Amino acid sequence: MAVYGGAERSLLVIIFDVHPCQKIITNHQHRFHQVLEAVIAFSNGHLLMKPDNRLAIIGCHSGASDYIFSDKDYAVVPTGINDGQYELFAHVEKCIRKNIKQFLSKMSNNLPAGESLLAGACGMGLCYIQRMKRELPIGDKMNSRILVLTGSNDSASQYMNYMNVFFTAQKENVVMDVCTLEHDQGLLQQGCDITGGAYLKTPQQQGLLQYLMWVFLPEPPLRKKLVLPPPVKVDYRAACFCHRQLIDIGYVCSICLSIFCKFSPICTTCHALFKTPGPPPSKPKKKKPKM
Amino acid sequence: MADDDDVKEYRWETGYEKTWEAIQEDDQGNLEASVAEIIQRAKRKAQMERKGHTRLGMMRHMYIILDASEAMHDQDLKPTRQLCTLKLMEGFVEEFLYENPLSQLGFILSRNKRAEKITELSGNYKKQLEVLKSNFGQPNSCSGEPSLQNALELALSSLKHMPSHAIREVLVIMGSLTTCDPGDINITIQKLKTASIRASLIGLSADVRLCKSLCMTTGGDYGVVLDDVHFKHLLSTHALPPQAAAEHSSSALVKMGFPHHAPTDNKTSYLAMCMCHLDSEEGSKLDGGGYLCPQCRSKYCELPAECKVCGLTLVSAPHLARSYHHLFPVQPFTLIPIDQNRTPSCFGCRVQFKTIDKQVYKCEKCCEVFCLDCDMFIHDTLHTCPGCSTNQQTYQTLSSES
Repeated sequence: MAVYGGAERSLLVIIFDVHPCQKIITNHQHRFHQVLEAVIAFSNGHLLMKPDNRLAIIGCHSGASDYIFSDKDYAVVPTGINDGQYELFAHVEKCIRKNIKQFLSKMSNNLPAGESLLAGACGMGLCYIQRMKRELPIGDKMNSRILVLTGSNDSASQYMNYMNVFFTAQKENVVMDVCTLEHDQGLLQQGCDITGGAYLKTPQQQGLLQYLMWVFLPEPPLRKKLVLPPPVKVDYRAACFCHRQLIDIGYVCSICLSIFCKFSPICTTCHALFKTPGPPPSKPKKKKPKM
Repeated sequence: MADDDDVKEYRWETGYEKTWEAIQEDDQGNLEASVAEIIQRAKRKAQMERKGHTRLGMMRHMYIILDASEAMHDQDLKPTRQLCTLKLMEGFVEEFLYENPLSQLGFILSRNKRAEKITELSGNYKKQLEVLKSNFGQPNSCSGEPSLQNALELALSSLKHMPSHAIREVLVIMGSLTTCDPGDINITIQKLKTASIRASLIGLSADVRLCKSLCMTTGGDYGVVLDDVHFKHLLSTHALPPQAAAEHSSSALVKMGFPHHAPTDNKTSYLAMCMCHLDSEEGSKLDGGGYLCPQCRSKYCELPAECKVCGLTLVSAPHLARSYHHLFPVQPFTLIPIDQNRTPSCFGCRVQFKTIDKQVYKCEKCCEVFCLDCDMFIHDTLHTCPGCSTNQQTYQTLSSES
């Protein structure tokens, strides 16, 4: 492998949402298998691009996140039963199947209600990328990216965590790609826009592997030269701190920059008292004497 | 070191210290490990100090007063004080506006016994740096004597008119040991204090009593640089938002708009002139994209901006979100000796713990264990604990923190 010393390797971290409440999984019995097959084939596709390419997969649902595949699993055990298939590929496939089975069986029956905590899983991915960067032999270059594969619903409750992840990714030059299987994800769209990644909502489930190979397999430097779906228009509205709803016009606390959808006399974040409201003064002024 | 201001005494007034005893050789007789540990400890200490501020002054308005006198030609900072300052300023301005969205900066130069405002307060760092380079970066741009009083008065005259919720600050970079003033500078200092302007000063040569009293009266920080690395460190302490003083309660809720991109599908797309380039010489172009003010639907091509039609401040949500980590910092992790640790690998990066590491770091909230590198990364850059954010009970930092 030393021959490729000058080449730039790329590290792909796949965040795989395995939340059992995703409609796409519950509606069809075999759909999850299809998705899993696609992920495995895509992973091998990535490893095929360059011999030095690296891969990590993090599984994620509402209760936990764990590594499905990481550098620990790279030790290839020659089995000799793979019909001329490159041994690493057979090994990767076996590992992913084994680990995802383990991960799913650990999920147990009393899974906490709620959405998949993708932001946290992305955070883990970033930690992993940091380590891979540290352990890189001197002189080698590596570009890294995160691919989020999810069928979950959009929600604003992880807003802060997402934002921290996006800005960290932007700072560390990590590209975030998002492939959603069912619902449009506004927050993740923002992430793609901030970090310069690709966003795709697959129009059809059957062709998932094809979409993955087409949009997400090429490395970010190569993508400029390819014909890819046009960048989406991103909704940059803010979510207010009080109701977690997306708003067009809001009030921002000058001390801590918390966003509120209505005028309130006290900031719930920093407990600052507000004297004069903004431009539309009539209503809040009436409230004041009551205090 | 002169930056121990709160102790109110100089190093030479303190007792005799055996500084070399803090450094110990390890088994192989190397010093490196010990030195690395001291650095590590200092870093963690700095982190600990940062915790727990929820009241920060986020909307900062800062004038940077640069000394452009003869004294800046001195070569004690390499290559000269002038060029070293310019180079560090470039980094500082960018960092300042990154850490403090919605904040504004302006530059004042002081030379030939006069003060001159080279840029107005604005949040556009590229424009600022351009002007700074052409005014401060030339070989002949530093001459004569500086005038601290004139520069402070100039800053005062424009900071006075800022809205009451704005945090007003002055940062002085002073190379000269003397200043040529038209009147009593103490009166100016008192004026700054009554206008609640916080003046900080970084001296490039030596500790000056007047400068120190300026900072102490107005509540700023005073520091004298040791070398360029220390200079950079002193500057970077000013990039983080200051803790808002308790009596500075002139906080306000500012109404803001969060525009989205104009729709560009065929059905709804329409062309419009952007409002931000109306006055400029090249004029605005008829274009389809851009951001629409949610109140009056006028169009802007860049954010943040103030709507020229209805006066609404327009920002994008990620702009604000960039600063939230100051408000909701990750609590410091606790140290655990490696032999009491049960988990085999770091939760974040999955590195296997080895006995050489001595210590691992545990998040008190989610009880996950991290390695040193992840601990630093999480607190310095990520600002989200991966353990907490993958746990259904702990992921919503927003509601539980305050």
